[in-house]
Amino acid sequence: MIRRHGDLLLSREPSARLVPWIIALMTYVACLMLAGSLLLAELLDRWTDDLTGTVTVQVMPVEGESVEVMTDRVDKLVTLLQRTHGVAAARALPSAEIAALLEPWLGGGARLDELPLPRLIDVTFDETSPPSMAALRTMLSNADPATVLDDHGVWQDQLAGLIGALGAVASFIVALVGVATVGIVIFATRSGMAAHQEVIEVLHLIGARDVFIARQFQNLALSQGLRGGLIGIVLGAATLWALSRAAAHLDTSMLPPVSLATWHWAVLAGLPLATAVIANWTAKHTVVRSLRKLV
Amino acid sequence: MRYGTGPEVLREVTFSLAPGSFHFLTGRSGAGKSSLLKLMYLAHRPSRGLITLFDEDIATVPHNRLPMLRRRIGVVFQEFRLLNHLSAFDNVALPLRVAGVRDSTVRKHVKELLQWTGLADHMNARPPTLSGGQQQRVAIARAIIAKPNLLLADEPTGNVDEAMGVRLLYLFEELNRMGTTIVIATHSEALISRFHHPVLHLEGGVLTTTMPPADGGAASGPFRSTGEHRP
Repeated sequence: MIRRHGDLLLSREPSARLVPWIIALMTYVACLMLAGSLLLAELLDRWTDDLTGTVTVQVMPVEGESVEVMTDRVDKLVTLLQRTHGVAAARALPSAEIAALLEPWLGGGARLDELPLPRLIDVTFDETSPPSMAALRTMLSNADPATVLDDHGVWQDQLAGLIGALGAVASFIVALVGVATVGIVIFATRSGMAAHQEVIEVLHLIGARDVFIARQFQNLALSQGLRGGLIGIVLGAATLWALSRAAAHLDTSMLPPVSLATWHWAVLAGLPLATAVIANWTAKHTVVRSLRKLV
Repeated sequence: MRYGTGPEVLREVTFSLAPGSFHFLTGRSGAGKSSLLKLMYLAHRPSRGLITLFDEDIATVPHNRLPMLRRRIGVVFQEFRLLNHLSAFDNVALPLRVAGVRDSTVRKHVKELLQWTGLADHMNARPPTLSGGQQQRVAIARAIIAKPNLLLADEPTGNVDEAMGVRLLYLFEELNRMGTTIVIATHSEALISRFHHPVLHLEGGVLTTTMPPADGGAASGPFRSTGEHRP
């Protein structure tokens, strides 16, 4: 009997029961897409951080060369690089590390020492005064013609392009989900207004302002948006957790370890609030616009 | 006044209601009684002509001021128009809640009025479980709870026996004595001859007024209407 002021003067409508579940589905999709785009951005950051300021020098094997001669060539180059201005560190990768890098392609059991593999030198630049890439390339080819300088540039650009495109697609889907949510709420509010036409007319005739009538629908939309958003985010978080568990078992050097940071979770937790706000705002505008047509 | 592109329902309707006056509105079914009342409770706008309500020309009143005017008008609808999913208490409380009155005040006033109209035992009942007469009293209570300046009733005695009809008329007279201007649309010749009030008679969209000798036409009433074209 005692209702809070502005509380629902609308009766429960059976068709409205479906709305939170549709919003939940939308939030779920938005949650996964948003998490995906955040992870991709994080991944790109991590890769770029790891790779900028470093180059790899490949020392190619020469036909008929013994292991000792090759090791000698590599050692000379390392010494040369270490003396070069702007190079902070140069280090020949031990065979074990090269084997680890090749493992995804060749499997763990391959006899690598029987293969004519190039040797790798990892070069880290002094970030404050990195050397010119061209000068470095000339110096290396003068010292030993069978070297290739790889500054990761091409690979990094392509990867950045791909990840950027994936991120854009994910953001686009999140935006689409937002638009669809607005559409659902408009549709639900319109059908709610049709179902409650008598209530609306009576309230209107006894002197209710448009915003008062709108508030009845806003309250409904707000609770539907919030409930749907919460269900969606709980399901989404559960899925992400399961995926991260599965990823933890994956043992590979291909992917740097990436996980959602606290602020990422905060952004995701904002989704139910966003759906509630969107639902509330949409319902208000839908109702007020149609009430303006009444006398 | 016309609906869509149909014929004019009301054509020559010029009258003025003095504050605190009491009028019956008569006419055959389809004569336009309900249409006239709808114009008066601001459910319709006239297609031509001038309506002045509480000294405001309703054609020029901005949309957002109309609710304030409506709150000064109590309406007893012919078919009651109670909200069936709300209790009798909540139905009667509606005009106060809409006007933003505090909850404690709402409770006090609504309880008092429901007691006064003999519905104290049915506060929590929903309208469909009430008898026709009880529903009518809920509708009347809702119309008068906010102490309106103008009370409009469309066939308020249509669903009750004659004795009940007379009792309701006494209730309206009591409100009238407290200053509320009253217009009651009715078919009942018995009521009209029993209660001596001026009669507005509608026929073929034309309004004629029969004034009892005691009543002189006042200049500035709460409601005035002319059938003339606006300039």
